[in-house]
Amino acid sequence: MLTGLFFTSLLSDGVPLDLPVGVVDLDNSSTSRSLVRRLDAFQNSRVVAHYPSVTAARNAIQENEIYAFLYIPDGMAEDLLAGRQPKVSYYYSMASLMAGSMVMKDLKTITTLGSAGVGQATMRAKGYSPEQIQTALQPVRIDSHQIGNPEGSYNVYLSTAFVPGIMILFMMLISAYSLGMELKFETSKEWLAEADGNIIVAILGKFFIHFIVFLTVVLLFQYYIYGVLGFPRMGSVWNILLLCLLQVASSLGFGIFAFGLMPSLRMSMSICSLWAVLSISVAGSTFPVMGMDAPIQALSWLFPLRHYFMVYEVTVFNGFPLINAWFHFVALIGFALLPCFVVSKIKNAMLTYVYIP
Amino acid sequence: MSIFHKIKQALVDAAYIWWQEIRQIFRDEGIIIFFIVVPLAYPLLYSWIYNNETVHEVSVAVVDMSHSQLSRQFIRDCNASPDVEVAYYAEDMDEAKLLVSKQLVKGIYYIPSDFATRLNRMEQAVISVYCDMSLMLTYKAIYQTAMTESQRMGAGLRMKLAGNYTDREDAVSVQPLAVDDVPIFNPSGGYGSCILPAVLMLVLQQTLALGIGMSAGTSRERNRNGQLIPDDDKHYGGIYRIVGGKALAYAMIYAVMAAYLSMVVPRLFSFPMLAHWDDLLYIMIPYVLACIFFGMTVSCLIRYRENVMLLMVFVSLPLLFLSGVSWPQASIPGVWQGISWLFPSTFGIRAYIRVNTMGATLGQVLPELRFLWIQAAVYFSAACLVYGHQLRISRR
Repeated sequence: MLTGLFFTSLLSDGVPLDLPVGVVDLDNSSTSRSLVRRLDAFQNSRVVAHYPSVTAARNAIQENEIYAFLYIPDGMAEDLLAGRQPKVSYYYSMASLMAGSMVMKDLKTITTLGSAGVGQATMRAKGYSPEQIQTALQPVRIDSHQIGNPEGSYNVYLSTAFVPGIMILFMMLISAYSLGMELKFETSKEWLAEADGNIIVAILGKFFIHFIVFLTVVLLFQYYIYGVLGFPRMGSVWNILLLCLLQVASSLGFGIFAFGLMPSLRMSMSICSLWAVLSISVAGSTFPVMGMDAPIQALSWLFPLRHYFMVYEVTVFNGFPLINAWFHFVALIGFALLPCFVVSKIKNAMLTYVYIP
Repeated sequence: MSIFHKIKQALVDAAYIWWQEIRQIFRDEGIIIFFIVVPLAYPLLYSWIYNNETVHEVSVAVVDMSHSQLSRQFIRDCNASPDVEVAYYAEDMDEAKLLVSKQLVKGIYYIPSDFATRLNRMEQAVISVYCDMSLMLTYKAIYQTAMTESQRMGAGLRMKLAGNYTDREDAVSVQPLAVDDVPIFNPSGGYGSCILPAVLMLVLQQTLALGIGMSAGTSRERNRNGQLIPDDDKHYGGIYRIVGGKALAYAMIYAVMAAYLSMVVPRLFSFPMLAHWDDLLYIMIPYVLACIFFGMTVSCLIRYRENVMLLMVFVSLPLLFLSGVSWPQASIPGVWQGISWLFPSTFGIRAYIRVNTMGATLGQVLPELRFLWIQAAVYFSAACLVYGHQLRISRR
């Protein structure tokens, strides 16, 4: 729950607003100043400082004061009027991809507008109508439709993948932990005796409570993002419910399986944590799986979060029928059933193993 | 006992504790995993995942209702661009939507039937781009390619109409103001080059904290009194020799690991590296020290080693975000900025990226370096305090 709050509050703006940007204006003409003013008016950028030279501006980037700067050379306005095609440049730091591409978008737009402004003035003087001017400046217009996330909000995009990822991590760890604790505090035999020595009943009984608790937490998070924060979604409530059931079942299944493979508290927890931390990258919610090397693409099938993400993407986010994600759906069920392979090993461990520190 | 003798005894004790700690580290497979295997293998795995850096040839479907020379030219241009591949031609939007739902394409270019007619009539034509927004990188590739190609096509049309005589006139009339777009420090905009340096520094802190926590947990379980410090060993006699001896053991292992993480891995995968090794040394010394004492403090505060694992693994992703690599530092709310000051990784990552990726001088990361030294000092005192407390408990 804490991570849910963390990510949604960290990313509450949706897109980074008013990122600091600098200007090196050697021209100081009314044209250059209007460029700078218009840049400042953009949503993502805020002009925080003027620098005397490119070196000074570069130093400011290295000192973490600005993310980008616009360089306007001396005589820009004059050359523009004389038709000598002056050149303005913008420099942006891609050391932080998101900040860099955000300010780049604004800088690109502002410089294109600067170019268009000149043509616009000439054409207006020649007596063209506004429609004619617009057509002449941009004969082909792109009409963009961002399906499912019209604002391009990073909150919608990241919180829906990372928070479930951390929850899966937590569920895997806790399920391995609670089995390991039986060994550590030597209560394993009592636990089995309560189920009359039937390991399947014992595991089902133990994890039924876990299942209910985790399901509640996961559903609360879903209620919070869709009900309170109003994230867009196209799938139905049933899709969300099904996804949550699968999420909890598959992570518990994986955790129990990991413990069954290595019936030691420490080792199974290490495996679960390493696996789950890796899965946040391999799920391909930020860097897509299709861009990774082929062996990694194949390995991504071994991570529950990857399948969770795909089912979410297809059924909840885009609202397509479940059949399109059948493979990932089946894979999640498979993860939930993994413990079947190791129940006998767990029973053996519970009866015979002695906890070694 | 003379003061000289006392110092000598303290050094002998510290060396003994150091030896005990080293033995414990290499005997316990859990600790070996976190101190040796994870720092060595994890960065390689991560680098491999992000090795391709950028996304190319994102598949899109085209719905071409225009069937004209101009629309086909647009499609050809998009297909020829590095980021987009026209994988399917769909008859109508429903068919294209089906392709998206099957995950075969990530977006749709829709060219309306009046596209060429409008252009020939000198009216503005519209191309609609529909994107699956579940992945930002593919959205950017699809949208920006359409943008670039439409502008290029527009420029070509304007040039034809302008009635200029020379190429130079053409160039000036299409673009009166030339623009130079210069990405710096990570010119290819690679995802791995951006995120990996931060991951490397975070791996260092997290594995140290996990390893130290595990080692403390193991001592608690091994020692007969169930405490962190054994009561039957006269060498464990003073706070400073315990903290010093243990820290020395961790520092020795992590001197190697820090060099490996900060210099070898980036070189193996050719991430941007602008720093000299001596500059990195000035960052890594306070960072490793701060991480060690941070880990020792945490290991005393949390009783069971499994809980250390729950806590540290749980915070790793939030810590990566708080460092300001993926979400810009300027946009992090004040509360979280304040919380991020508690962790060495925040400043370690910032200093390392600015010096290594962005070529800053040490003077330019002075605030971060100061914070790291302050953290090292504060966590050292904290470690001494909690170990003093442990010592009193075990003496009782």
